[in-house]
Formats: sequence, structure tokens, C-alpha cells
Amino acid sequence: MMAQAENSAAAPFETDFWKDAKLRKVWDEIIPGEPRKTLPYKLTQEAITLYCRAVGETNPLYLDEAAAKAGPYGGLIAPPAIHILLMFACTPADDWMRSPGTVNAGQSWSYNIPARPGDTITLQARALDKFIKRERLFVVHDNVFFNQHGDVICSGRGQTIRPM
Amino acid sequence: MTSANFESLKAGDTIEGPAFAVSRESIRLFCDASLDYNPLHLDDDYMKGDFGKTNFGGIIMHGMNNFGLITRMLTDWAAPAGAIHRRLETRWLKPVKPGDTIRPAGTIKAKQVTAKSRWVVVDVAVQNQRGETVAAGEAMLEFPTS
Repeated sequence: MMAQAENSAAAPFETDFWKDAKLRKVWDEIIPGEPRKTLPYKLTQEAITLYCRAVGETNPLYLDEAAAKAGPYGGLIAPPAIHILLMFACTPADDWMRSPGTVNAGQSWSYNIPARPGDTITLQARALDKFIKRERLFVVHDNVFFNQHGDVICSGRGQTIRPM
Repeated sequence: MTSANFESLKAGDTIEGPAFAVSRESIRLFCDASLDYNPLHLDDDYMKGDFGKTNFGGIIMHGMNNFGLITRMLTDWAAPAGAIHRRLETRWLKPVKPGDTIRPAGTIKAKQVTAKSRWVVVDVAVQNQRGETVAAGEAMLEFPTS
């Protein structure tokens, strides 16, 4: 029942975020500007449907193929905020976004075109900045998701407070 | 709630989203849907510890669950009018826990006509059942001219 279940080419998604914790960079090791390792991810309708259930999305554009075909996009699309899933789907187990205790402090995202079921999504991502504020260790990350045609789906940046 | 019509929209008009009941099950479902299995959302023992000066006392909802609920509100409002959700910026102000009921809302802040399109800026917030704002931010929607 996980969002990546049908991504047969990929290894099963490790849900125990402690398992690879020692492989992940701590704040001191994160280099602003250095690209993060990323993985292509095939977005499935199953993953979209599961995301929709989790946030109560009922829009037929995401869930009803016939209605979506007759709509403005000519077919099913994913909700804009599907990047919430894509962030973890497109990064490997040793990515520092998975460090237990990572606290999300805020995000901003811009949307270009929708992702669609069947798309192979790629991510270009990096830490852009890091700083210390009120004894907390922050990292700014920036990210752009593309489809298999090289079109930008969405771009965003956020701040996380790093575990100490 | 105001309708998504660029001509008639004005600052102060409001948008409302449905209430969302937060439970251990809803948080677990969000883990599976987002692949975000951070122990903040799963492990009560871990959450008994301190995070710097903060102690949450138990598992908390993903901040991005707020983001997803605000997005749902905006797209459900905008899509029937042919408007497109273009941007959302949020920050988290208070943790949300199992048993809370949260609800997103928006207030029209400004309209802007640019060289090739029309835009509406919306202040957004999510409140819990005590009326506390748990997330706040700003969104931008495009109302294409053709």
C-alpha cells in the first residue's frame, strides 16, 4: 500500500528511516550548492489515488479517467502538491531529508504543468544555503521536478531544521 | 465563500475548505502516501524526547499535510472557473496532533493584471479546533485571459 509499490525497477522503499541514518550527511557535511543524488520515479495512478485519499482529494481530474479526458488537460493529472511524494520518491535512502528528527520549517512551490500518471519524474535538487538561528541548525533546499519530456512540472524551496 | 470570478473578486473575500480530522490513522496514511516515514510521525517513544527547547509529547502530523489541504481548497475553488493554482508558500506555526480537527481558509489579498495574464494573491491559513493558526502563508492563482 505504499506509493512506490509499482515501481518494480526500484528497490523496495525503506520505511525505517533509522536504518541508513549513519549514511546521511549531518548539517556540518551538507555543502550548499552541491547537487543531491536523485532517482527517476515512475508516477503511477495508484500512488496518485493513495495521495488523494490521504488529503481527501475528490477532484475527478485526479481520479476519474472519463471525466478527466473530457476536462482541460485531456486526461488524468496529479494534484499540484504531489511533489510531497515526489521529494521522497526521487531521492535515495541516504538522502539527508530522511534523517530522523528533520523538522520542516516551511516551503514555497511554483507550479508549471501538472504531473500525469505514467510520467517518469526526475528531480534536480541541492542544498542552497545553511545557517544557525536561535541555536538551531537550518538548511535551505531547492528542487525542480521535470517530466520525461524535460518540461518543468514544479519548482520549490524549503527550510528544514536539522537534527542535532 | 466567494466565487472564483476575476472581475468580481475583491480584497477581503474569503475561501473556505472542509474540516479535516487528524488521527493516528490519517497520519499513518500520509506516511504511506508521501513516503515520509520520519519518526516524528510514527514513534511515540522517540517523540518523548526533546528537540532543542521543544518537546512535542507525542507524534505530530506532517507539516506538508497542511500544505496538501490548502492546495485541495485552492484547486477545488479555482478549477471550475478555469483558474490555475500557481504558487503556495507556507510556514508551520504550531504542531498538529492526533485528535485535532483542522480547517484551511483563504482571504483574497490582491489582484494583478500582467502583460499576458491575470493573477490573484490569497492569504491562506489553517486553524485547529481551538481557533489557533497552525499554518499560514500565501498563494497565487492565475486567471488566464483566454
